[in-house]
Amino acid sequence: MGTVIAVISGKGGVGKTTATANIGVGIAMNDKKCVVVDFDIGQRNLDMILGLENRVVYDIVQVMDKEASVKQAVIKSKINKNLHFLAASQTKDKSILSSEKVKSLIDELRLNYDYVILDSPAGIESGFEHTIEYADKAIVVVNPEVSSIRDADRAIGILDAKSQKVKDGDDVSKYLIINRIVADMVQSGEMLRSEDILDILNIPLLGKVPEDRGVIDASNQGKPVISNKKSIAGQAYERISKRICGKDIDIRDVESESAGMFKKIAGIFK
Amino acid sequence: MFSWLKKKESASMAKDRLTIAIMSDRESIYELPFMDNLKSEILEVVKKYVSVKAVDIKKEVEGDIEALSIDIQLNS
Repeated sequence: MGTVIAVISGKGGVGKTTATANIGVGIAMNDKKCVVVDFDIGQRNLDMILGLENRVVYDIVQVMDKEASVKQAVIKSKINKNLHFLAASQTKDKSILSSEKVKSLIDELRLNYDYVILDSPAGIESGFEHTIEYADKAIVVVNPEVSSIRDADRAIGILDAKSQKVKDGDDVSKYLIINRIVADMVQSGEMLRSEDILDILNIPLLGKVPEDRGVIDASNQGKPVISNKKSIAGQAYERISKRICGKDIDIRDVESESAGMFKKIAGIFK
Repeated sequence: MFSWLKKKESASMAKDRLTIAIMSDRESIYELPFMDNLKSEILEVVKKYVSVKAVDIKKEVEGDIEALSIDIQLNS
């Protein structure tokens, strides 16, 4: 039985889909069978980030409506044979989802993969609720910025209220990824430190991802940044994926290590 | 000199503001998804005995104690 992980954020534009794509590739690199599912009905994006937009034939809504089987609808990634992808519907509305349909899809995926990663839509409405309803775990992606953190807390609150696991008296474990950290801004006190964000949200840290221009370059090409060994964000996702697969990898202090030499020198004269 | 001193404080300002905003968010209705049902059921019960205008339920937190405060407004 595989583990179902919902990737959530509350606020849009914080890098949730990028995180999902990279975690999917990263888990596959750890020799685990992984399927990433785009739950953002009506705003399909994960296919672009994974470079699979031209290969989508059937989408998640067609699978839920039994117009196609999971086997027909999943797309095998060229990046790694362990990685499969299920696209969101682009034409339909997210009101199309229902709890029963979502449950039967997730139950089937759980039987066939080690990890099922769900990319949730932004916001805290029905599409989001369906994504988290049957998840075992959640990864919360935030930026070190007030609106993202506040919205994430809201999303965590909804998760704890609507999750089937919680209703059954169990716990959904939640893990935090802090994305787009700018080291020298943290050092100069202009950006929230990870410790502060953890204090506020009170969930364990899964990883810190530094701001990296390579992320946009990677999405331009449809190749997740984790494949770029030189990218600091890619390396961060590699560490995160290993942690998800149960490996004990130290959290790197990206806030103090990545400031450029020039800025370090400039800092002395402040 | 003061300009960068001011800048330095912005992250801690963010933390303080967030802590307060999130505290009040958490007390809001979203933490209690059953609130609407609870309200209408209470309304049904109380209506059997007196004429009720509205029911309002709030979650209140004081230190370690969490309480639901139920406000029933009667028809006068």
